[in-house]
Amino acid sequence: MDNLFVDDLGKRFRIGTAPDKPFRPSQWLNVLRRRKPDEPKAEEPADGVRDLWALRNVSFRVQPGTVLGVIGANGAGKSTLMKVLARVTLPSEGRVVGVGRLVSLLELGAGFDPDLSARENIFLNAAINGVPRADVERRFDAIVEFAEVEQFLSTSLKHFSTGMYLRLAFSVAVNLEPRILIADEILAVGDAGFQERCLQRVQADAQQGLTVLFVSHDMEAIVKVCNRVIWLDKGKVVKDGLPEDVVADYQRTMWAHADAARSERGSLSNEIAELMSVRLLSNTLQEIGVPPTDESFFIRVRFRTFQRRVRTRCAVDFYAKRVLLFRVSEVQKKEHMGDETYEAAVRVPASLLAETNYSLTVSITVENVKGREYTLISYNALSFLAYRSKAGDDGPKDEQAGLLAPKFDWKYYRLRNAPHA
Amino acid sequence: MVRDEPLREAKWVVEPRRAGGSARLEELWRYRRTFWFLANRSRKRMYQRMTLGVFWVFGRPLLPIVFATIIFGSLLKIPSDGLPYFLFFLTGMSSWMMFERGLMWVTRSLQMNRGLVKQVYFPRLLIPIAAVAPVVVEFGVYMGLLAGAFVYYRVTDGIWYLHVSWGLLVALFAQVVALVLVIGIGFFTALAQARHRDVRYGLRYFLRFWSYGTPLLYPMSQVPEQYQWLMYMNPMAAVVQTFKWGVLGVDKFPALPLLGAAMLSVGIFAFGFWSFSRGETAAIDKM
Repeated sequence: MDNLFVDDLGKRFRIGTAPDKPFRPSQWLNVLRRRKPDEPKAEEPADGVRDLWALRNVSFRVQPGTVLGVIGANGAGKSTLMKVLARVTLPSEGRVVGVGRLVSLLELGAGFDPDLSARENIFLNAAINGVPRADVERRFDAIVEFAEVEQFLSTSLKHFSTGMYLRLAFSVAVNLEPRILIADEILAVGDAGFQERCLQRVQADAQQGLTVLFVSHDMEAIVKVCNRVIWLDKGKVVKDGLPEDVVADYQRTMWAHADAARSERGSLSNEIAELMSVRLLSNTLQEIGVPPTDESFFIRVRFRTFQRRVRTRCAVDFYAKRVLLFRVSEVQKKEHMGDETYEAAVRVPASLLAETNYSLTVSITVENVKGREYTLISYNALSFLAYRSKAGDDGPKDEQAGLLAPKFDWKYYRLRNAPHA
Repeated sequence: MVRDEPLREAKWVVEPRRAGGSARLEELWRYRRTFWFLANRSRKRMYQRMTLGVFWVFGRPLLPIVFATIIFGSLLKIPSDGLPYFLFFLTGMSSWMMFERGLMWVTRSLQMNRGLVKQVYFPRLLIPIAAVAPVVVEFGVYMGLLAGAFVYYRVTDGIWYLHVSWGLLVALFAQVVALVLVIGIGFFTALAQARHRDVRYGLRYFLRFWSYGTPLLYPMSQVPEQYQWLMYMNPMAAVVQTFKWGVLGVDKFPALPLLGAAMLSVGIFAFGFWSFSRGETAAIDKM
């Protein structure tokens, strides 16, 4: 039985109007002349008033126990959707039906009073959510423990760091025993350790039947925690399905935009050569959005040379968490005839990448006839989340850790006369 | 484990059109804890971070009354139904200030809780209603001042001016009428204030004139008999007059005007309730 129904939801904002502009005496004249104030004069252009649908025809249903990720570019309507679900604003059309208490974490500090102590704020936040004091008293220790604020219970909240604030807010929210929890990106504020704990907590609670909706730009977290993802674009649901599928599609589209933006600027070319595109290919040479970790794949660099006898050398830098992991580079420069398009592909072996976010910086060193060197470089040419394509055969949970996951062989030897301590 | 089943398991609907009146009332009840929180918070805000707390609590209401006594009572010799002018004026102001200050608090309420309203859901109707909390506390302060004045005149003049009778209960009822009127008008002004910040200034200006039309500085008995009905078109005249009659036992009980004021207040409240429910979303979206 679903416990959240979103039915043909739409939210319209009217932009271009300035309803709060100061009242001018000329408006009085309009009134006296019996002219409707909103009616523009014929010769004047309209005020630029138009409707913006932040959400339109959005429908989905969610079962208890679902961790639903909401992804999309900035301005796609994610936050508006969260606000409507949290009832902070009303929709313009359609409806939402929910069963059970909904607790939302929309903005940091919502429902907290910086002048009160942490202890008072816990009760305050509960009161705002309509939760009885007895319920909070029962959960008080759990809240404090998860938030790790034992020593600061009497400290007024304005002296809290952002991280402490966030820990307290999250801890109160999950401990108010909601049936539906809504979180809008605020988890991104916390440090890695706390984020991990939050995600684990969310997953654990989901197994107890909690429905979670959360917005994030961190595709790694989305794939790790969610069991369903909705991708919003311009207020509409583009795709709704399994995290790996939706995230892969989403990322592919994002690059298409990025490529277009880059080519307009044309910053990746000089009079000798031009770096045209960077793509991922599967080991069957199909273009793919997301590379597998357990199969090999190719990175293909397409470039063009404008002069004769140009020598080039390609390199790909692998970054994860802004750390340069390694560089794959050609050993020698290749010479080209000139004014032609070339492709260079490098094969990335299976069992090297971990299931995490990578970013590639691609560079081409170009040498012209006279021996002068130039470098064309595309920072963050691609970023993607690698995933394991063969689902099901998961090894032990702690099988891999870190930014790379190479598979090395293990060998065992039995020691015969080993000295026992 | 779960004690508050109704709220925790309740089904809720979000639609462009909000639920009807009875559903709203029921929701207000379910969110009564939020009401107490809001009321408490606005009360705490009254004298928050003020160094001269005690002065503001007692001195602020007292000083204007003392000056008015000197000017209107001693210099201009305005009649005061045979009572000390100070006591006469203080009693009237105790009743009136609940209205004037209350309306200012309610008008600003939505704007003051902007952060909360844009981030968490609770019935928005709670905000203007809870905003009268400070003024109820202030009413208590006025009662304290009044008690002090009674004791003072008992000691100096030897007269006990407090009129103990069932009229005291009627006086309290009159104050409740004033509160209903405050919230009723406040439903409109709070929404207006959320969009037009100058509403508050205009209102303060307007209230000054309203107070002149209310028997505060002068007794109702000074108004010619044939024009008194006109004075009573002002619901606050009936409230203030009833309060003075109930507490001091002067003049006569304006029963009919009070009934009219009560009905008018309830009417304005109901209309305001409806109108606030209709307009709250648009106002908050634009805030």
